[in-house]
This record gives sequence, C-alpha cells and structure tokens, in this order.
Amino acid sequence: MTLSNVRDLYQQVILEHYKKPRHKGKTDPVHRHQRGHNPSCGDTIELTVQLNDAGDRIEDVKFEGEGCAIAMASADLMAGALRGKEVGEALLMVQRFQSMMKGQDEFPKELRKLNVMAGVAQFPVRIKCANLTWHTLKAALESPNSSNATGFISNEKEA
Amino acid sequence: MTFTKEKTLADQVRADFPILHQEVNGKPLVYLDNAATSQKPLLVLNTLRDYYEQYNSNVHRGVHTLSAKATDAYEGSRDKVAAFVNAASRQEIVFTRNATEAINLVAYSWGTSNLQQGDEIILSVMEHHSNLIPWQLLAQKTGAVLKFVELTDTEEFDLEQFKSLISDKTKLVSTVHVSNTLGCINPVQEIIAIAHKYGAKVLIDACQSVPHMPINVQLMDCDWLVASGHKMCAPTGIGFLYGKLDLLRSMPPFLGGGEMIADVFLDHATYADLPHKFEAGTPAIAEAIALGAAVDYLSNIGMDKIYTYEAQLTGYLFEQLAQIPEIRTYGPLPKVAGLGRAALASFTAGDVHPHDLSTILDQAGVAIRAGHHCTQPLHRYLVAQSTARASLSFYNTRQEIDVFITTLKEAVEFFGSIFG
Ligand SMILES: Cc1ncc(COP(=O)(O)O)c(C=O)c1O
Repeated sequence: MTLSNVRDLYQQVILEHYKKPRHKGKTDPVHRHQRGHNPSCGDTIELTVQLNDAGDRIEDVKFEGEGCAIAMASADLMAGALRGKEVGEALLMVQRFQSMMKGQDEFPKELRKLNVMAGVAQFPVRIKCANLTWHTLKAALESPNSSNATGFISNEKEA
Repeated sequence: MTFTKEKTLADQVRADFPILHQEVNGKPLVYLDNAATSQKPLLVLNTLRDYYEQYNSNVHRGVHTLSAKATDAYEGSRDKVAAFVNAASRQEIVFTRNATEAINLVAYSWGTSNLQQGDEIILSVMEHHSNLIPWQLLAQKTGAVLKFVELTDTEEFDLEQFKSLISDKTKLVSTVHVSNTLGCINPVQEIIAIAHKYGAKVLIDACQSVPHMPINVQLMDCDWLVASGHKMCAPTGIGFLYGKLDLLRSMPPFLGGGEMIADVFLDHATYADLPHKFEAGTPAIAEAIALGAAVDYLSNIGMDKIYTYEAQLTGYLFEQLAQIPEIRTYGPLPKVAGLGRAALASFTAGDVHPHDLSTILDQAGVAIRAGHHCTQPLHRYLVAQSTARASLSFYNTRQEIDVFITTLKEAVEFFGSIFG
C-alpha cells in the first residue's frame, strides 16, 4: 500500500495479536475483575487477574472485549507481559506505557515486545485505544475487592 | 474531437468552500463526514464577519441604529427559515442552540404538562440519542411509557408494526425523518396521518433531511420539526424548532429570563408573544443571521437540485461499495437514479474494525465517521458494535468517491492479507 505510515502503525506483530490473541478468556480463579470502556467509540474490555497466594504477584491476566486492532492487540500484549510481575511492578508498567504513548519512554529489553505499540503515539486520536487496557488494569489492581466487576471505568476522563 | 464537459453541481460550488481546498496528511482532503456536520460556504463565513465588524449589537433591546440593524437581520433570518420549510407563520419558528435543545424544549414544556402515568410515546429503534434521552427523562418524570418501532427486512421503519403499536393511549410519536445511520427516508407523512387519527402529536427530527431535500411542514402536517444549523451549512450553536402556532401558544415557557417576557413584576410575569416566549436570554445572534445566509445559499442552488445531484452520487457510491465483497452496508439500497435513500452509507468491512478503517482512510486524506454515530440502541439492534459511515454533500464529487473506494479496497486487502 502507498500509505507507509499506516504500516508503521499496524505492524505485523500488532495484527497477529489482534487476529490470534493468546490471552483471551477469563482467569481461574478470578482475583481481580474490571471492565473498562471508551464511551465515545464503544470499545470495551473486561480484564480478569489471578494473583499468587500472597496477593502481591500476578499469575495470569486474561481479557475479553470488543474493539479495534489497536485496543485488542494492546490488551493481548499487556496480558502476556504481566505474567509473574509483582503488582507494584505492573503499576509502574502502566505508567511507562502511558508515557510511551506520549512519545517519552520505552520499555527495557526484557519487555521490548511492548514497544511495538510505540508507533501509536504518532496517531493522537488512537492513543486512547492503546491505553484502554492499561487504564483498566490499573483500576483492577488498585481496588482490592474488585473480583466482582460492576459497571465500567471510563478511559476518556483523563485525556 | 472537442466537447465541453457539463459541470456538475459540485464543480460549480466547490470554490465557495475554502476548507475543502487543503491537504490532510499530505493528500487532498476528501470530506465525507457531512452527516456529523457540514462545511460552510463563504457567504456564511462573510455574514458572520460582517455582523461582528459592522453591526454587532444586542437584539430587541435598543433603539439605536446598530441594535435595530441586528434585530432586523435576526428576525429576517427567521423569515428565511420559515419560508425554507414552508411554515404558515414566522411565529412558528423558534431559534434554539441545536436540534437537541429543540427536542428538550418540547419534552419539558409540552411533555411535562401533557403526559401522565400510562400515556404512551412511540419512538423508533433508529433514533439518535438526542431523540431518545429527552423522552426517557420525560417518561421517568411522568410515568409515561416508551414504545419502539423496529425495522423491516430492508432495515427501514416498519410501518405495519407502527400501526400495531399505536392506540388511544399514544400521546406522542417522535421519529427521525432520515436516519443518520441507516440513511432510510421514513414515510413521515403516513406516520403523521395515522398518529393524528389517534389524536397523538408528532415530532419529526429533520436533522438529516432539511440539509438535503425540500421540506414542507404544512404538507407533512407535523406538529413539531427540529433541525440543526451546523448540518446545513450554518455555524454551530444555532438550530430551530418549528411548531404549529396553536400548539406553541398552548405550551408553557421552557427557560425563563430576558427576551421571553412581556411584563415583569417581583412575584410574577407575563410572557412575550411567540416565538420570543421560547427564546430566553441573548440568543446566538451572529449564528442565527448566518443560518439565514445558509438558507439563502441552499435555496439559491435549489433543494431539488441538491437532492437529485446527491442521489446520483449515492447511486455511484453504492455501486462502488458493492464491488468490495467484504463490505456490508446498512439500511435500504438506493433505487433508480440513486433515489429513495439518503446520501450516506454506513458499513462494516468483515474483520476490519471501523476505527482501523478510519485511520487508514484518514492517512489518505479521507474523513469518515467510525463508531456508533449516537445511535447505540440501533447498533445493538443490528448486532454491530460499531460501523463506519461515509456521508455526502452536494459539494462532493465522483472523484472523491473514487479516492474513498480505492483506499477502502487497499485497507481491506491490507488487513485481509494478514488474516488470510
Ligand atoms: C438524526 C439526528 N438527530 C439529532 C442530531 C443531533 O443534532 P445536534 O447535536 O446538532 O443537536 C443529529 C446529529 O448528530 C442527527 O443526525
């Protein structure tokens, strides 16, 4: 296609995660459960998180949802990157991802897979698509009794 | 061989729209989001500017020359709108901020004083949120019940089902004239005639019809009709409510304040005559005057001519979309010469999400809408999470449709090659 910058955005890896997500579904058991959405465009995401016995480390994250390639790929990549991370580390990753969307930061080598999303920063209107899953994760981890999700948290108030 | 190519309507008017002559992302802008808001011709832009440069002044409030001039222009604009929709009287046109405010005006003023527990309001599943939420609020307040007309197999207003819903309990029918998502043109004249047999009032949301086809409120016989200026070449911040004179007279004020009064005492007031009873506070003067200019502009071209030209484009657009097997369009297909539906196409493209399509089109300079277009219940009904929408205006060309289609094909292929 003549539109080369579109290729930068929709890198092969992103499209593969969109088409063949590896972390779709629900964790068993569910220790954290949170729904998030971007009300103005209709993208929704539902995250479930399984923690270790101490409750300070992530064993597994899964997602369900409907949305564009960017939103869904971002969720799948995130879920893969979170396995085995401490809750505190995960929250720092949220911050780092949000900075990356401002073009200000990138992930270090061991998490470099997440850097394929960096191109989204060049498309300001799509940043909220990529951020949705991270924003939802933050809410899930910060509310200790969220194993029964009610309602949605909006990803659009902060912007 | 030499021949002179006949100029299309778009060829004749494009020079009037400065915004169209620019590049977006390095490509000539192809603006196909007209159902969200239209672009503004120089006549309208100059009218705004002239007002502020030459006679900016409050209306109905002074005897000085500028105020008189502003008042004349403001009221003159009302005459133009009245003539444009063929209202019987200029007093039947109330300026509002937009169509949404006009619907809320009716819901509060007429609705809260006329509806009771168990009364029924009939809407359709294709309504814009603006023609749904005000009635939900009213129903919560009064105990009235909302009923919904569904769609036929061709995704149009189901008139037969409407006939089975309506009864003596129906006090109001409120429906869209042209759906901003399906593009169907609803049989409003029949709907209104049926509703009136049961003594129900009818409000028509004409946001998507007034800018694109001739409207005759007397022929239609609607009780109210609403539209937004910004979709018909006028600025944002101005719209109008048409209401039958007796009905508007019987309705209590909506907002209170200056402009809408006759005599004010400390404990009560009498209200201004129509239409000022419903225009509290300093109105959007420049915008209202510019709406008059927009009406002049459209009338000068002729709404018949606009409708016919847009229909030709519609026919072409649907022909081209039909060439792409992955595309599923919503609403009825156009009939002969592109007639019978509005000049817009909502669609999905297989696995490709509308936002992703829109981003790719944007890179080619093509502006379309992606999302639920403020018709979430309709999308739920259609089992589509969101759709993409290309909506045309009389300044769009076949060449622009070609650019849109070519890029759309590329986008579908791009995603298709990955998904295989
Ligand atoms: C059919 C329909 N009704 C109502 C509206 C609301 O218009 P506004 O937001 O200008 O009040 C729109 C525009 O988005 C529309 O397309």
